[in-house]
Amino acid sequence: MERLFNTILIGVSGGSIYSLMALALVLVWRSTRVVNFAQAGQAILSTYIGYEVITHTDNYWLAFPIALVAGALTGALIDILMVRTLMKRAHSGPVAGIAPVIATLGLLGLIRAIVGMIWGGDLRQFKLPVSNHGFTFGHNTIPFAPINLLIVVTTVVVMLIFSVIFQRTNLGLSLRASAYQPEIARLAGIRVDLTRTIGWAFAGAAGAVAGMLVTPTNYLSPNSLDLLLVSGFVAAVIGGLESLVGAAVGGLILGISLALVLEYISSSLAFPVAFVVLIAVLLVKPSGLIGAKRTRHA
Amino acid sequence: MRNFLGHSSRRLKAAIAFPLIGLALFLLSNRVDELRVYQGANVAVFVVAIISIILLTGYSGQISLGHGALMAVGAYAAVLSQIYWHLPVILTFFVAVLAAAGFGAILGSAAGRLTGPYLAGTTLALAVGLPSLANQFGFLGGEQGLNYDVGLPPAWLGADFTQYKWFFWISGLAALIITWLSFNLLGSHYGRNWRALRSNPTAAALMGIHVGRSKVLAFTVSSGLAGLAGALLAMTISLVTPSAFPTSLSFSIVTGAVLAGVTLLTGSIVGAVVLVAIPEITGALATHLGGSEKVTSNLPGLLTSVLLIVAVLLFPNGPQAIMKRTRKSSQ
Repeated sequence: MERLFNTILIGVSGGSIYSLMALALVLVWRSTRVVNFAQAGQAILSTYIGYEVITHTDNYWLAFPIALVAGALTGALIDILMVRTLMKRAHSGPVAGIAPVIATLGLLGLIRAIVGMIWGGDLRQFKLPVSNHGFTFGHNTIPFAPINLLIVVTTVVVMLIFSVIFQRTNLGLSLRASAYQPEIARLAGIRVDLTRTIGWAFAGAAGAVAGMLVTPTNYLSPNSLDLLLVSGFVAAVIGGLESLVGAAVGGLILGISLALVLEYISSSLAFPVAFVVLIAVLLVKPSGLIGAKRTRHA
Repeated sequence: MRNFLGHSSRRLKAAIAFPLIGLALFLLSNRVDELRVYQGANVAVFVVAIISIILLTGYSGQISLGHGALMAVGAYAAVLSQIYWHLPVILTFFVAVLAAAGFGAILGSAAGRLTGPYLAGTTLALAVGLPSLANQFGFLGGEQGLNYDVGLPPAWLGADFTQYKWFFWISGLAALIITWLSFNLLGSHYGRNWRALRSNPTAAALMGIHVGRSKVLAFTVSSGLAGLAGALLAMTISLVTPSAFPTSLSFSIVTGAVLAGVTLLTGSIVGAVVLVAIPEITGALATHLGGSEKVTSNLPGLLTSVLLIVAVLLFPNGPQAIMKRTRKSSQ
C-alpha cells in the first residue's frame, strides 16, 4: 500500500511536467491548428539560457524567470517570423495540410543545430535548486523529494495562472474567441494575428518551465527533451488536444500509469507503454478522454 | 482511346528508358572514383526512402515523421533473418520489405483513422522511441549493433570490382526497380484513388473509394519501401545499430521529399542528391571557414533545416508548382 502510494506520488511529479509540455502544445494547437514539434527545440533553447544564468550566477531562482521570458520571446518571434508567412502562403494545394507540420519540424532541426553550435553535444547537469533526498517521516524515507514537490507546486501555479488568464481576463476571452472562430473574432474587432502571437508566447513560456523543471533531475543535451515532447503529445491527445484542463489531466494520467508500470512491471517499458497508451486512446476515444464530443478535423 | 494509347505509350517509354538509365549508371560507376561510387549508393538508398514518403504524403496525403523507425524495422528484420535463418542476401531484402510492411499495416490501421497532427505525432513518437528499444533486448545487439554482410562481389565481375561498387550496383538496381514499380502503381487505379483521397476525402468516399482501406494500403506500401531502404542503408555501412536510425533520419527523408516536390516521383533523385551532398558541402564550408568542432558537426543539420523551412515557406507544393506558375504567366 505504501509502495503504491509512493509510486503514485512520483507519477504525479513526472506527470506534472508532461502536463506543462502538453499545455504548450495545446496553446499553439488552439491558436494555429498546428502541433508544434519545434516546442522541444524552443524549450531546450530556453533551458540552455537558464543553464547559462545558473553557471554565471549560481542562482536557479534567477535563472527560472529569465528562461521563462526567453521561452516566451522565442515563441512570439517564431510566430511573427515564420507562422505568419506560413498562414498566408500555404493554404492551398496538395500538401497545404501538412506544410505547417513540416515547417515546425524544420524549425526543431534549426534550433537544435543552433543550440549544438553554441553549447556542443556534451551532457550537462544542473545544480539542484532543492534537495533530491526524499522526505523523511519518522524512520521512513519516501522517494518523493523536495525537488518533486517543487515540480508539482510550480505546475499547479502555472496552471492556475493560465486558467485565470483564460477565464477571467479580456485577453483570455480574445484568445478563446480566436481559437474558436478566427473569422468571426476578426469581425468582432479582435486582432487575431496578435492574439496568435500571444498564444505562441504563452506556449513558449510553458515549454520553458517544463524544461527548467525536468532538467535538474535529468541531464541537458541538445535533444534531451525529445522524449518529453512525445510524452507531452501523448498527454495532450489523452486530454483531447483542445482543452487546458485536458492537458493537465492527460499529463497526470500518463505520469501515474508510467510510474506504475516502471515500478511494478519493468523499467525498460517506459516508451512502449506510452506508445500503447497513445494508440489505445486514438483508437478507442479519438476525441480524447476530456475532449469535446465531436469528430476530429485536421 | 487516345487516353489508352497515351497510357500504353508511356509504359512503353518507361520500359525502354529504365534499362537504358540503368545501363548508363552502371557504365558511369566504372568511370568515377570510389567515394563517388559510395555516394552514388547512398543516393540510391535515399531515392527509395524518398519515394516511400512521396507515395504516402504526396499521393495519399498522410504524413509520417517515423519512416526512419520503419527503416530500422526493415534493417533489423534483414539482419536477423540472415543471422538466424541464414537466408541468402537477396531474400533478406524481401524479409525487410515484408517485416516493415507488416509493421506499417498495423500502424496504418491505427493511422488510417488519424488525420494530420495525430498521425504526425504518433509517427514522431515511433521515430523517437523505437530505435532505443534495440538497447533493451539482447538479441538486437544493443548499441554495438549487428553485422550485416552482403558478401563480396561475385568473382565473375572481375578482380578490380570493389565492394563499394557492389553496394552501388545492388542499391542502384533496387532504386530503379522501385521507381519503375511506383510509376506503374501510381498510374494504376490505386494511384488515382490516393490522389482523389488527398484532394477531397469526402468526394472520394462518395465516388465509392474505401477511404480507410486505401489509406492503410498506402501506409503499408510506403512502409515496405522504407524497410527496403533501411536494409540497403544497413548494407552500405555493413552494420545495423540504433544510432544508424536517429530521429534526424526521419526528418531528413521528409526534407528530401519536400525538396523533391512531394508529388513528383522523378524529383526523388533531386532530393536524394541534395541529402547526400549536404554533408559534403558543409564539410567543404567548414574547412574553408575553419570553425570549431561544435560548429562543423552541426552545419549539416543547420543547412538541412534551413532548406526545409525555405522550401515549405516558398514552394509548399514543390518546386514544380512554381515552374508551372511561371510557365503559365509567360504564355
